[in-house]
Amino acid sequence: MSVVDTGLAGEYAAIYAYGAATVHLGGAARDLAEAVEAEHRDRRDALLDYYDAHGWEAFAAEPGYDLDPIEDAEGARELLLGIEERLATAWRAGIASDEPAEREICLNMFTDGAKVLARWRTVLGETAADPWPGRPA
Amino acid sequence: MFGAAALTAAGCTPTKATLIASDPDLIAALRTARDLAQASEALGYDDFAADHHAHIETLERLLRPSGISEQAAPDIADAAALVEAEAAGSREAADACLATDGDYTVVFGEIAACRAAHAAVLA
Repeated sequence: MSVVDTGLAGEYAAIYAYGAATVHLGGAARDLAEAVEAEHRDRRDALLDYYDAHGWEAFAAEPGYDLDPIEDAEGARELLLGIEERLATAWRAGIASDEPAEREICLNMFTDGAKVLARWRTVLGETAADPWPGRPA
Repeated sequence: MFGAAALTAAGCTPTKATLIASDPDLIAALRTARDLAQASEALGYDDFAADHHAHIETLERLLRPSGISEQAAPDIADAAALVEAEAAGSREAADACLATDGDYTVVFGEIAACRAAHAAVLA
């Protein structure tokens, strides 16, 4: 499995998670969740275009993904922030690629992911500062 | 004499070791980080300034033993100008990430992403 495969799987899972969690949110968090879900769909489409451009067949999304039960808004926020943190880590791994096109798409996805993380942290009242986004803890 | 012969036998040639004096992309990243740190502090964004100081510390360590001199204060007067400077700094680091074939790919990518995140929040 390549780093782009890992990232695509993560984007599929993120779209699924936003679909399940956003309904529990209100206010600015809900607005952000709806916007970010759309961004994940755009990123998925960009990745599918990347596979097409290389003559590769992309794998499809799973019918469903295992998620912890979402009881309330706090649970939804925790789930979505955790997904964004793991996705940033996955995309960060790809920027070490020796293959230029792979490095570029991973960098673009990683940068978008860092922006999403910063926006989430701001909405949650946390600092958006993070000198090394996506670094494993 | 014996040492030289042993090195040659081992496939080594007696060329003088040289230190890599500098890397233009690392120097550019350092200068931009200093500008962004100074401007962020002046405009009251201390947490973002701390991010830039973390980059400065790492870049200075990577550039050692080359000393990179301090520079004039940046012309970043307000939040809008800082957004522009963060975005430009992100593009600069991203270009370096894509161009380098060295060991600094991930560092440049992380710095690009951090600066882009600052710009996204400040905008």
